[in-house]
Amino acid sequence: MPKITYRVGDETTTVDATVGSSMMHDAVRNDIGGIIAECGGNAMCATCHVYVEDGPVDSLPEVGFAEDEMLDCTAAPREQNSRLSCQIPVTDALDGLTVRVADEQA
Amino acid sequence: MTPTPQSTVRRPTSDLDVYSDEALLNPWPGYRELRDAGPVVFLERYGMYAATRYDAVSHVLRSPEVFPSSEGVMMNDEMNQVLRGNTLCSDGEAHSASRRVIVRPLTPKAVRLLQDDIRAQARKLVEELTGRREFDAVTDLAQYLPVTIVSNLVGLPEEGRERMLVWASEMFNCFGPPNDRTRDSFVVLGEMMEYATTQAVPGKLRPGSWAEAIHGAAARGEVPADKCPVMMIDYMGPSLDTTIFAISSAVWLFARHPDQWDLVREDPSLIPSAINEVLRMEAPIQDFSRSVAVDHEIDGVVLPAGSRVIAFYGAANRDERRYPDPDRFDVRRNPTDHLAFGAGPHTCVGMNLARLEMRALFEVLVERVTRFEIRSEQRALHNILRGFARLDVTVHV
Repeated sequence: MPKITYRVGDETTTVDATVGSSMMHDAVRNDIGGIIAECGGNAMCATCHVYVEDGPVDSLPEVGFAEDEMLDCTAAPREQNSRLSCQIPVTDALDGLTVRVADEQA
Repeated sequence: MTPTPQSTVRRPTSDLDVYSDEALLNPWPGYRELRDAGPVVFLERYGMYAATRYDAVSHVLRSPEVFPSSEGVMMNDEMNQVLRGNTLCSDGEAHSASRRVIVRPLTPKAVRLLQDDIRAQARKLVEELTGRREFDAVTDLAQYLPVTIVSNLVGLPEEGRERMLVWASEMFNCFGPPNDRTRDSFVVLGEMMEYATTQAVPGKLRPGSWAEAIHGAAARGEVPADKCPVMMIDYMGPSLDTTIFAISSAVWLFARHPDQWDLVREDPSLIPSAINEVLRMEAPIQDFSRSVAVDHEIDGVVLPAGSRVIAFYGAANRDERRYPDPDRFDVRRNPTDHLAFGAGPHTCVGMNLARLEMRALFEVLVERVTRFEIRSEQRALHNILRGFARLDVTVHV
């Protein structure tokens, strides 16, 4: 199982992520705070915003058009490393990834 | 004859009429029967498969390469021809191009700009209605924001604005299987399509409106110009009725579950969760369909290429395999994964606006109303939509 680390405020949590899930679903299932995911993972609400900080960042899929559009709508500022966690499928290649959950989601 | 292995012959069938008056007014027992019969079940009366379990419906909606939309998402061939090429009924690049145009005024960022106005109007309305104590939660409450604000944003000329409610409802009836309801509604659909083609045109549309922006996008070459009339339907169809039905269902559920209303009154931060639970329980759109592009197996049942599968959102949302005690209305459940807005590439493009309209009303209602009491109710009898034609309530303040 790939290990993914989430930073929420001052807290850092590493979870055994489930391959085949999305990072958003996996984070919610593991009680990672700060992710609302109001639209259920369909790139419509921009409330599962994370900043990719470290690890195998080149293994992440490219930002698609729907995600790109929604990243312009995030409550916290969009940065170069902004992603919507619902659009990132968990794969073994993501082992060691660290993301910071955006402080403000809605 | 050599016996075929069990796994390839399994084809659960049902003679249930899911579009009978009785089933439409109370679909839950039938949905349960279908969920228990199999992951997908062949409906003998209609010659289409039904997906009713959560996992199956979600899979169909999220697998557009197997279950495309471009051959239509309705349950009859004629309607699948009429809307060919609009955002709802397209795939891949063509879909992305038109969805990009349609979503522009409906992103979270765009909808944030409407927030203050919608909240102010909601407050004014609720204050007036709670002063009256007795009102129809459909015409007086639920229709107000969609009809006054949203229809103006869409920007049709006056006559079109007035007819939008009727058109939308009749259009969704035409999504049904070939039955009397569908046939009767086709007459009005003709009027709507004619209007979308001849009246929803530059010069007649409100400047700065969503409808006008479709023509603007066509002029810039973002979408083919001949797609403009069917793309109008992306706005004219779902922007009013669906939200109206969701609001009326919410009032109905809160009236029947005063304990749940108390929870929301005591903690208004539960409103977003409660709205998700209302949508899970009473999906305003109960079902759309997809064609099957290639032979495809779902949990041991093979859907043959060329067949059609109906995705019952309302049934998936009550699947006991997904939601414990699914018929219980629980405002703390927060089922953000419900399928009332669909899922995958065709997920409801207006969900942010719909949620805002609902939140704005209930944020004021929780301040003012201690109890909703139903004096009389009349469900809309509709092929696809679920909600009320009338819901007379008394509010206690």
